[in-house]
Amino acid sequence: MSHLGAPQTDVVVVGGGIVGAACAYFLTASGLRVRLIERDFPASGTSRACDGLLLHHDKGSAAELALARASNALWEELSRSLDAGIEYRRQGALVLAESAEALAAAQVRALELDREGVRSETLAGGALREFEPALAPDLAGAIYYPGEAQLDARLATRALLEAAQRRGATVDAGLAATGLRLGAGGRVAAVVTAAGEIAAEAVVCAAGVWSAELTRSVGVDLPVRPRKGEILVTSRVPGLLRHPLLESSYTASVQSAAAATGVALVAEMTAGDTLLLGSTRQFAGFDRSVSTAALHAIAARAVRFLPALARASVMRSYAGLRPWSPDHMPLVGPVAAVPGLFVATGHEGAGICLAPVTGQIIAGWIAGGRAPALAELVRPERFAGERTSGEATLGEGTSPLPRKGRF
Amino acid sequence: MNAGVAGPLPAPQGPSTDVLVVGAGPAGLAAAVAAADAGLRVMLLDESPVAGGQYLAAYSAAAGEHLDSSHQHLSTSQPSGGSGNGAGLSPTRAERFGHALLGRLSAGAVDWRPGTLVWSLGAEADPAPACGLLSVAIYAHGATEHLSAGAVILAAGAREGFVPFPGWTLPGVMSAGAAQLLAKRHGLKPGRRVLIAGSGPLLLPVAVRLATPDGAGAPGTRVVGVLEAAHLPAWLRCGASLLAGVAAAADRDRLGEAVRYLAALARARVPYRFGRAVTAALGDGRLEAVTVARTDALGRPIPGTAETIPADALCIGFGLVPNVELAQLAGAASLFDPARGGWVPETDAFLETSVPGLFVAGETAGVAGAEAALSQGRLAALAAACRLGRVSQADLQRERDGSARERAAALRFGALINTLFAPPSGCQAVITDDTLVCRCEEVAAGEVRAAIAAGAVTLDALKTRTRVGQGPCQGRTCGPILARLIAAEMGTAPEAAGRFGVRPPVKPVPFAALASTVPASPARDLRPAREAGR
Repeated sequence: MSHLGAPQTDVVVVGGGIVGAACAYFLTASGLRVRLIERDFPASGTSRACDGLLLHHDKGSAAELALARASNALWEELSRSLDAGIEYRRQGALVLAESAEALAAAQVRALELDREGVRSETLAGGALREFEPALAPDLAGAIYYPGEAQLDARLATRALLEAAQRRGATVDAGLAATGLRLGAGGRVAAVVTAAGEIAAEAVVCAAGVWSAELTRSVGVDLPVRPRKGEILVTSRVPGLLRHPLLESSYTASVQSAAAATGVALVAEMTAGDTLLLGSTRQFAGFDRSVSTAALHAIAARAVRFLPALARASVMRSYAGLRPWSPDHMPLVGPVAAVPGLFVATGHEGAGICLAPVTGQIIAGWIAGGRAPALAELVRPERFAGERTSGEATLGEGTSPLPRKGRF
Repeated sequence: MNAGVAGPLPAPQGPSTDVLVVGAGPAGLAAAVAAADAGLRVMLLDESPVAGGQYLAAYSAAAGEHLDSSHQHLSTSQPSGGSGNGAGLSPTRAERFGHALLGRLSAGAVDWRPGTLVWSLGAEADPAPACGLLSVAIYAHGATEHLSAGAVILAAGAREGFVPFPGWTLPGVMSAGAAQLLAKRHGLKPGRRVLIAGSGPLLLPVAVRLATPDGAGAPGTRVVGVLEAAHLPAWLRCGASLLAGVAAAADRDRLGEAVRYLAALARARVPYRFGRAVTAALGDGRLEAVTVARTDALGRPIPGTAETIPADALCIGFGLVPNVELAQLAGAASLFDPARGGWVPETDAFLETSVPGLFVAGETAGVAGAEAALSQGRLAALAAACRLGRVSQADLQRERDGSARERAAALRFGALINTLFAPPSGCQAVITDDTLVCRCEEVAAGEVRAAIAAGAVTLDALKTRTRVGQGPCQGRTCGPILARLIAAEMGTAPEAAGRFGVRPPVKPVPFAALASTVPASPARDLRPAREAGR
């Protein structure tokens, strides 16, 4: 029973980032009574410290690509159905190759993706210059993926939350979950907060890199670690860039677990005529400071590809903590050891892209009571038994994915 | 890391300098000269091409022609007659001290680096400085550079605070400080019919300077009025406090200064009105007139009292806000103190912040005027010298005790001013929903009020929801305005709204400069040979 005077709750979602918001959205769409609690304010964590690219081409496996396709299709629908604007634009993205070798490798990749139905075309020379005039003239070429899109993650988080609220969800900002209380049979009974307990049939932990704090309170270790990404924002450069850009080594830097600061350029226009330029990937605990080294490295990379930026300024910067998972696939679904507890985290840099499909899978589990389509790809229990600490593990199921042995 | 990535170059062995002073206003000048006198290598940095800050701008402007570009040393003119403060008044004690310090600078006491922006500061910065050193990232002459210092003294001054009103972004409306600087440095005046509005004694010197035909000024400029938001009792309490302390030289000086300014305004027949607020700036494309109204005790316009005054320039200022961003970036603990102008770093009795080796002085430590700044600059320098082993604990203690009474008096007076002339709670009433509150991102008050009503009750939450504070000024202007707006809507104190986060670069830095880092250039050792070898 709720001690907070709110109406009866079926599901408590912990975390008001884009993933929590998407969970609330799809859970309310299934007719469930949802209460979302957020310890600071909506999108206060990673969802406001990221880019807004919705990509297919950077996905490292067939499973990841399947998720991205499902999710990006949902975003396209949502961009039309959500009442509030989310600055959704589908204008494709350019993957840049500095050298002939890099271009050849990018073309091989494009061919693989073409077999999966992800269309692209190679641009070089005058065609590339006409397509994106601000690019450095000495690049070997680029692959254009017309299906890639972008949105504003903060607006999207807010739009999903508002839609969920219109369907009856309650959103409590400034309320932190401090633990979980288990009831009979080790089943989750309530979320504990400073303002009392919130009883619920099910709890979805969608707290990004901070998810492990909460699950640890019931002895569940999540193999999710914060991986810092630094992004800088330019002064206004209206019209400079027409399409988002990604350096061809970007995918490699995302997939690499190396702890060193890797920089491969990713550039995105905003509605305010600034560019977001990223990004680094670094394991640095929960530190969210921006290093001057990252600024130098990203600025140098940006000027390399967009020489006209030399005359613009770096206006500000930010860093976000991406929830890294050992196999670069999110952890979405039930925690077998604690009935009633679900997690939705581990998306690393793809949380914006994968939020809708995550919300749909969570809603399928809770409202439908069984594994929905794609759910097997992201079941948390694939990591069961890999940790020896803690009283409980993620559960004993058969992992649908081969273990990568990296964790 | 990819090939071709221009990361910062490795720092050379040893610190670039013993003491690095940020800001060459009264506090920074006093700190730099005192540290040099204590036998330390000193680097003095300022964004401006000239030393002196806003307070001593007239002196440094007069010296501008004598700038020796090869050594970047200043020679300065005498602060006599009207050439100093330019308002035909005799210089204050602080102006005389400040002028003497500028003279030491031009004599080459410290490594003076004008036109230099400090855009990052920290003990944990990257590249990590050697043990016990602070890392300082600078931008100058088109390139970036990473320095390290045994101690850093932040004397970055303060900026003006504002209360927005409809039309405050019209050309012709400007800050009182900007108008003052234009007049001091370049002899320019903002218009032919100038209205000055806001709160606090800082409006007086601006009014006097603009009202006084001082040779450099454009003929025909008329100051049509000074509109003070505070009511007469605030001024009377100020005067009473100065009279009570009239035995002290500093208070006598301040009282004399105020009397001289008021007399100068009277001579120029400039009307000075209490309890007035600007309710709108009007004009088609640029300022043509200003509507003003009488205010009640809370600062709210009284209906039916509005009048329209033709003017082509409106200079506004509501006191000062300390520039503390670098201290915040370095992780210094801070507190909100309205009597000191807002958020200020916490310090010990020797002005050292919670970050070892990081000191603050002058308005950055809390708005209290030039006398306090000069005294604090010297104290912080000696404390830094003590930390670096050049001054004994006993000598430092003696310095502190010797100047304690005078400094306390200056701080008390500063606190009185900041409190009596703070924007009144009712001043929010002139901010209509279509008034822009974030000028950079053009966010209107109505959108902000709606966001506050929807639960965005901190600056951080507002920034995420509405774009306020995301533009080039990084919330320097809109931060205090928004904090008061949140406080007014929520019935809470302004500090409950928190602060905007600070990350590098604290001010915009060109890509070309970030992409080309030059090796750290150590401070030139300007000490006499016996000092350097010690």
